[in-house]
Amino acid sequence: MFSRLLLIPLLPLLGAAYLMLAGQRHTRSVVQTIAILAVFASCVISLDAFFVGLPAVVHEGGISELVYTWFAAGSVEVDLALRMDSLSGLMCLVVTSIGTLIHFYSIGYMAHDEDYARFFAYMNLFCGAMLLLVLGDTLPVLFIGWEGVGLSSYLLIGFWYKEHANASAGRKAFITNRIGDFGFLIGMFLLFRATGSLDIPVILGAAQDGSALSAPLWLGQSVAFWAGVFLFLGAAGKSAQIPLYVWLPDAMAGPTPVSALIHAATMVTAGVYLVARMSAVYLLAPAALAIVALVGALTALFAALIGFAQNDFKRVLAYSTVSQLGFMFAGVGTANFAGGIFHLFTHAFFKAGLFLCAGSVMHAMSGLGDITKMGGLGKRLPWTTRVFQICWLSICGVPIFSGFFSKDALLGGAFGTEAYGHGLAWVGPLVGVILLVAALGTAFYMSRLYFLVFSGPCRADEQTQHHIHESPVSMVFPLVVLAAGALFAGFAGVPPALRELFGKHGESTLAVWLEPAVGAPLAVAHRTEWIVMGISTALALVGIGFGYFFYGGGYRAPAHAFARKLPRLVALVRDKFRVDEIYDAILVRPLQALCRITFLVVDRVLVDKILVGIWAFVADVGGRACRFIQAGDVQRYLAVFAIGLAALVWVAARPAAPKEIQVVVTGRHAKVTLVDDEARSGNLQYRFDFDGDGVPDREGKTASASWIYGGPARYTVAITIEDARWHTRRVVERDVEVRP
Amino acid sequence: MTITQFNIASASWFRPELALTAGILLLFLLDVLVRKQSRYRVAVLTVAALACVGVAAALLAFQPVESRAMFNGMIASDPFATFWKWLFLGAAALTVLIAARSDEFPSPRIGVFYALLLSVVLGMFLMATSLDLLMLYLAIEMVSLPSYAIAGYKPGDRRAAEASLKYVIYGGVASGIMLFGLSYIYGLVGSTNLTALGVRLESLAAPASAGGQLGLRVALMVAVIFVLCGIGYKIAAVPWHMWCPDVYEGAPTPFVAFLSVGPKAAGFALAVRVFYSFLASGGGPEGFARGLADVPWPAVVGVLSAVTMTLGNLSALHQNNLKRLLAYSSISHAGYALMGLAAASQLGVQSVMIYMLVYLVMNLGAFLAVIAIAQATGSETIADCNGLSRRHPLLAVTFAVFLFSLTGLPPLAGFVGKWYLFVAVLSHYAGDGGAWYVTLAVIAALNTAISLYYYVRIIRAMFIEAPAGELVVRPRVSYQIMLGTFSAALLLFGVWWNPLIEWTQASLTFLTRG
Repeated sequence: MFSRLLLIPLLPLLGAAYLMLAGQRHTRSVVQTIAILAVFASCVISLDAFFVGLPAVVHEGGISELVYTWFAAGSVEVDLALRMDSLSGLMCLVVTSIGTLIHFYSIGYMAHDEDYARFFAYMNLFCGAMLLLVLGDTLPVLFIGWEGVGLSSYLLIGFWYKEHANASAGRKAFITNRIGDFGFLIGMFLLFRATGSLDIPVILGAAQDGSALSAPLWLGQSVAFWAGVFLFLGAAGKSAQIPLYVWLPDAMAGPTPVSALIHAATMVTAGVYLVARMSAVYLLAPAALAIVALVGALTALFAALIGFAQNDFKRVLAYSTVSQLGFMFAGVGTANFAGGIFHLFTHAFFKAGLFLCAGSVMHAMSGLGDITKMGGLGKRLPWTTRVFQICWLSICGVPIFSGFFSKDALLGGAFGTEAYGHGLAWVGPLVGVILLVAALGTAFYMSRLYFLVFSGPCRADEQTQHHIHESPVSMVFPLVVLAAGALFAGFAGVPPALRELFGKHGESTLAVWLEPAVGAPLAVAHRTEWIVMGISTALALVGIGFGYFFYGGGYRAPAHAFARKLPRLVALVRDKFRVDEIYDAILVRPLQALCRITFLVVDRVLVDKILVGIWAFVADVGGRACRFIQAGDVQRYLAVFAIGLAALVWVAARPAAPKEIQVVVTGRHAKVTLVDDEARSGNLQYRFDFDGDGVPDREGKTASASWIYGGPARYTVAITIEDARWHTRRVVERDVEVRP
Repeated sequence: MTITQFNIASASWFRPELALTAGILLLFLLDVLVRKQSRYRVAVLTVAALACVGVAAALLAFQPVESRAMFNGMIASDPFATFWKWLFLGAAALTVLIAARSDEFPSPRIGVFYALLLSVVLGMFLMATSLDLLMLYLAIEMVSLPSYAIAGYKPGDRRAAEASLKYVIYGGVASGIMLFGLSYIYGLVGSTNLTALGVRLESLAAPASAGGQLGLRVALMVAVIFVLCGIGYKIAAVPWHMWCPDVYEGAPTPFVAFLSVGPKAAGFALAVRVFYSFLASGGGPEGFARGLADVPWPAVVGVLSAVTMTLGNLSALHQNNLKRLLAYSSISHAGYALMGLAAASQLGVQSVMIYMLVYLVMNLGAFLAVIAIAQATGSETIADCNGLSRRHPLLAVTFAVFLFSLTGLPPLAGFVGKWYLFVAVLSHYAGDGGAWYVTLAVIAALNTAISLYYYVRIIRAMFIEAPAGELVVRPRVSYQIMLGTFSAALLLFGVWWNPLIEWTQASLTFLTRG
């Protein structure tokens, strides 16, 4: 019953519960202490569980703990079971460590907010739900965590709910995620139907075994394919992939620490985690993998393009997150699960760092987020600038920064994958090429962001400029730690080709760790590895160069010239390719019209008028009648007693079950009679089946019938008695022997 | 072994009952000994009552587990009985705790109340265990007689006197008719022992000439229905429910809380023991379907169930007095639980046990909330709940939890209880009379919807209506703790009901004849 792993999600959840109930009564310092301690304690427990039990966690399939059997109904048994293996352990470490840092950062960032306790309660709720998601060893537990993070995301996006835009951004995120969750549920049901279990190890075992999940289901595709596609729909909702990415940029309406923790580093990567967790299922269905990879690659490119022309600091980062998540999906979609998780890992650091820098900058700029009004902040915010530079170079993929290694692992994997059969062999290289272009775009828009914010003269008004100041220590400290992560996290996954230079052989530590959970890393030829590294480095430098050419030191002439020459293209990109408008026209508006019609017809007329009206009348009259009987005098009570008794005798005196069949056989002629008191009443209908073939041979209201058999044998006579008054049916059987 | 030795040997299975008996005597004694003006009077008596329940519970915990008949086949001891005994002791302990801090029991009178309450508990123990028609009748009377006294406990209160008198008259008629039925059975069979009865009835029911059986059938049917009257009166099923609202309104509320769960549960225990074990052909719950006098008893119980829940709910719709409303609600809950008996299966019996367990907590909780409200406002109407969420959020939220649980909404334990009743009924879907069982389930579902209406009326008053005036609602600390614990338990077992299933499953072993 006691489970150390349970403490990991439980502590933040308890913190959330306490802060929600009693947080208002405490001072800010108490609130922040409780919240941070809750997450920090689960961080310590995760570290302890992961590193102390390292061999077991990494090599022996992980530590699994059954907390209790939640419920068992028939053949379904749903356990609250948790597992820490290398994959979930790594996720735990990322969530708890970055979670702790961002909680710490929030002390400074949220210092002036009224709803301090509510904020930290939601943050703790998020951490608890996210930890439940990654540690869950059965799909229902995972799904509870999945919904829990969705809920806390919704609550935090609309945290400043008094502004209509924030509330509707929260709603948009929630609804978009529901579409994905529907896919998740269908996928879960398909897997359950095929394997008879909801336990992840059982499902993965069945996937390795193959037969149950390879059976064709629909359109000639296997169960594994459809389950994979539907699960990916869920993943695409949570991880903001085409076509469900639209909620993430709007989600930036929430406080910046939320954007950093939930909408960059952790929750949005849950989809990638899900695909990696179910890797064995996906490996059975290369076509599903191809869909994942292509959607990921296209999202990576598409979102990067949108990032070119956004002018809100956090929006640029939001599209960047969508784009980087696309990279991760392209990774797991090319069966390069270790690579995808590696990029998830490094991205958590540099993207959280970038967001926290955004928060720090906006803090300095009196809450302003428009990068056209910034510039020249490099000297005024020295710490923030240094951290931003490291994270920027990391996301661009400049060598030795962490993003370089992880992006390289994805690109190498795309070109070197062998997961697809012959028919789909083109997918890998295509994905690789798209990713290269996306990487170039990434370097460009991130450089644009950097130069517009930090270089050149400041474009803000006097008053804002006057207030610019470096953030407090509580905000700078997490920045520095994250920068260190962005700088060094990549060394966990140095590719074999580079390791050889330093005289080491074999795969990197991370790949070795992840192998039992997601399978062996892709073996990419060293030559491919080197070529990809060269190209991606060159592209990163070219992108940065372009960025400098257009925006170094503020808006430069080429930028203006470009905007003048192609105004419509620029406007189209700035309007995010008008995807929101398209969704609005083809989905939202027709749906709203349908809702209005349904409301008028079903709710107003059918429910309110007809259903409610009639039943309310019946209930009302019935209630009054009952009250009349219950008037208070005992005589009347006892009269009801007596009448009820008589009625019950009448009910009980209904026909008895027939007991016995009498058979008289003369030669081949048989006469069958049912001994039954009630036969005379004429209320029963009898069906006689003489030869046991299930087809009634005689029918009627009398309890006896005759039949002439074809030859000597043993027959079974079955009499079905139906009572029309009670809708009951009974079958009485007896054997009949016809002798020669 | 002589009869005396046999009885002495039986006593080791009878220790909890003996402890209760000793406790009752001790309480009567203490009531006289502790000075009426003493400051510690209530505390001493409460501790004594709780100690009595505690000793009985401890002895129950160490009771040998095997099933056996005691006292020459008068009383049974088996896991099934033990389950109900735990439930009764739990209800008793909670009622003592509630009554100790209630205004309705002035300190001079509380000692006698405790003693009478424990007498009722002793009677319920015997109801759940009796194996003989006489014992069974005595047990029912042992529950009824102290209840009549407690119903009229408020001195000089006209409503209390009226409630008590109605209760006595109604109960007298019901138990008279039941006794009449028992005498018929004795006349037909010639024994009062349930085992002998079962064997004899089965041989009587064996196929004989159709005409000769008819007379026996009618006599037996009427006798059984008369016995059902007595049980129906205890569980407050329609048409034997009429006493219920008046008594609930007039009697002291802590006792009403007890009355609405304890004797009801004991009635169900008795019904299962008599009809689903001993008199059923084959000696198991399933045998009930084929059983006595060729009457399809599950259908009869099903009709009772449907009528009880429907009338209970319809009558509750127009109530403004919270105690009367909960009285009708408890009638309808008896109807829901009867569904489990109508299912006539192991699963059905188990679902009744689960339901009674959950019902104990949620109904006691609801009454506790009513007591807390009445202590603040002096009356107990729905209007008194107005704006309660602003006056005392904890009370309002926990009351809402109890009401939602009574409705049967997830994730509360009330949902789990109701769910298993539905499962028990619907598992007959493909069998004999399947359409009929489905109809019963549909009626129950519609009733759940109706009940939501009047439960939500209270919740609406608490959370939406504006408070009438500046009234301070501050429930006693012990009440607050109990409210919190009860609702936490309902939430906990609403998501983690496996312990309920396992416990009731293990308690399904009962003594059968043969």
